[in-house]
Amino acid sequence: MEKGGLLPSLDDSIKEIRRISGGSSDLLINRFVTGGIHCALLCCEGMVSTSVITELIFEPITDIPQQKDSHGLFHYINEQLLLSTDRPAVRDYDTLFRLINSGFAVLIAEGISFGLAFGVQGYSSRGVQEPSGEGNVMGAHEGFTETIRTNMSQIRRRLKSPELVMELFAKGKKSHTDLCLCYMKDRVPKSLMERIRRSLDDVELEAILTTGHLRPFVENGSFELFDSTGTTERPDVLCSKLIEGRAALLVDGVPYAIVIPRLFCESFQTLDDYAYKPYYAVFIRWLKYAAFLAAVLLPSFYVAIVMYHPELLNSTLFMLLVEAEKKAPLSIVTESLFVLLMYEIIREAGVRLPKPVGGAVSIISGLIIGDAAVNSGLVSTPLLTMTALSVLGGLVVPELNPQVTVLRFVFIIAGGVFGLFGISLLACAVLVNICATEDYGFPYTAPLSPFKRKGMGDTALRIGIREMQSRSFTVEEYHE
Amino acid sequence: MNSISKRQLAALLLITDMFELFCFGGSMSLETLYGVLAGIALQLLAALVFAAKGGELKKQAAVFYLVYAVFCGGTLFSALWRTSGAVYIPSESGKGIWGQLLTAGLIALVCLYSSSTGIKPVARAAVIAAAAGIFCLGIDFASAVLNADWSNITVPERKGFFYEVVRGGALSGGLGSMVVLSGEVREGRQKAFVWYFAAKAAVSAVLILTVLAVTGGIMEITDFPVITAAQLSQPFDAQRIDSLFLVIFAVFAVFSAALQVMTGAYLIKRIFPQFVRWRSSTVIAVTIGAALLISGRELLLIRACAAAAALIIAPLSTKRSAAKSSG
Repeated sequence: MEKGGLLPSLDDSIKEIRRISGGSSDLLINRFVTGGIHCALLCCEGMVSTSVITELIFEPITDIPQQKDSHGLFHYINEQLLLSTDRPAVRDYDTLFRLINSGFAVLIAEGISFGLAFGVQGYSSRGVQEPSGEGNVMGAHEGFTETIRTNMSQIRRRLKSPELVMELFAKGKKSHTDLCLCYMKDRVPKSLMERIRRSLDDVELEAILTTGHLRPFVENGSFELFDSTGTTERPDVLCSKLIEGRAALLVDGVPYAIVIPRLFCESFQTLDDYAYKPYYAVFIRWLKYAAFLAAVLLPSFYVAIVMYHPELLNSTLFMLLVEAEKKAPLSIVTESLFVLLMYEIIREAGVRLPKPVGGAVSIISGLIIGDAAVNSGLVSTPLLTMTALSVLGGLVVPELNPQVTVLRFVFIIAGGVFGLFGISLLACAVLVNICATEDYGFPYTAPLSPFKRKGMGDTALRIGIREMQSRSFTVEEYHE
Repeated sequence: MNSISKRQLAALLLITDMFELFCFGGSMSLETLYGVLAGIALQLLAALVFAAKGGELKKQAAVFYLVYAVFCGGTLFSALWRTSGAVYIPSESGKGIWGQLLTAGLIALVCLYSSSTGIKPVARAAVIAAAAGIFCLGIDFASAVLNADWSNITVPERKGFFYEVVRGGALSGGLGSMVVLSGEVREGRQKAFVWYFAAKAAVSAVLILTVLAVTGGIMEITDFPVITAAQLSQPFDAQRIDSLFLVIFAVFAVFSAALQVMTGAYLIKRIFPQFVRWRSSTVIAVTIGAALLISGRELLLIRACAAAAALIIAPLSTKRSAAKSSG
């Protein structure tokens, strides 16, 4: 991008702008004379609101009285006209294009080497809708959208405190994506914010199109199975994280916010937990822990016990399994891998296909293929039951689904080759990996290990809101 | 090396001791419990003297603790192989030396990965593993207690109290690691030692009493009383839950070996600073070699003497100039 200052000659400047833009059709250049000075208003088609630009810029600007020169004109506009609240100065073509492409209108004039920009954004965007991924019964039904300023306003509406800081900046050499770093300045240590900013300074990507492009920069570089940063598409959830002393990163064009740091136990917490009575919230939470373990381990335990440790089953169950498995032509490991692979293929098809077709695929695969596989004897009923239970368990904690999916396969192989011994060894390696996951000195496994008694009140249990009020928790308590 | 907490150090050491208790061979009696408790008391006293003196280990002492870590690692692998008949390990069963090496190799792989992450993650994981292990063992043994005969606890001892103290002292494979790693404990050595020995005494007492109650009647024909007690746990008529024990056994084996490997690698770094790579691999290779040499022998007396030496050498071989780090 051109770093040079704006040319004072209007014709030369417009020529230069056309050259840089390569004659792009969506760049609109409106030339006019106001106050006796030749001017041009530049904007990007589809990025500005026509009604706003007419009402706030064209109407007042055409009424400007005769001016001595361009400096007088710009001084008059700045001092006498309001036009728009967002009015950055433009001194080079780099800034000019960044602003135009962000929905600003830029006014340049003959004989002056800078321009005035006016925020008149009016591009079409998706409205605030219910989040698709983080289901909630008792909480708000608003989710983030693709527009960063809408998302910022959603957070601000919920946290009106002046302590909430939102730092807007752009990253991406080509995309110039707007990013917003949000934090409560009285809750987050300055040193942590400095470290996050330093990490973001390393971003030299050409385009930032998803949160996944940024997360590696704010995560520990070592091999980690689980993410030490989280994402949320709910403004209410993000606000609760900010109050707990976390930082968040909003990305323009993405309806998700990155939360820094993330803890393992947070994957099992939802906003609904705080809407229900504590005893029910605790029940649901433990149900999720059990579901997670079942999702990862149930098929592998089935495989290991049936293949190597049948003495651990009672006689009725043993006979039932023998009866079912002797009809199946494949080995138990192959059979379970086959069933899980089938499920993953069906799931992926359901996700990628258009919604109406995706639903049909799920019905066809679930009812027809599943039924046919069992009736033909290709897959045994107990194995299918175990797999279905495991898959359902994984859906209870959707945030951990990628990890659960892969670990389930690896554990089946370990159980199939080395029995319970193999599962135990792999469990050790996974446990050490989880415990090694750490972001900016915040251990992913806190408050379980390192053990923090105070933190267990919202991990193993869900204490009452009155107790939480007196606790005034911030994630800094977990810092090591 | 990163700093760890007293609970984390206690968990690491406790796992090693519990694994040694799992592999405990021969008969047990109430005197075994007294012996173990007496051993713990003596070790605590020596450890407190070391904690009070503080300081950093001299190079010669570091060499001794390196040899001790390799020896303890060797006895761990040897114990694992010895008990593999009682605890079914598919990769080992009926495959002789190759099966043994495959089992050791698998554990070595996990150990290598664990030690590559550093002491901090392993210590954090050890706390979770120890808590889960104690919880599962609790279930296992609580169900075993349903079939227990408490009159077995008074079964008389035949081998004498001194023998039992030696056996109790031998169940301390983590003492070298305790001395080496205690300098990294944030809360100071004294607190960490008291935590560890108190936890060890409590867990050992519960475990041995339960084992006596469950297997006391068949102690004469029991090779590994703790494993047998776990296998006898039958909470329901036709339902066995000792699969829990199998899992804990393997998990504890990994953490026990990882502790020795990390201790060894740490000491190699101190003794030979120029030796940068393959430290953990070297320790584990030498440890498996040592296990092959030990080959199924319990070496109780040697282990007890080595444990005593580990505690006596510690306060005698610290550098005076070093900062005093006792709690």
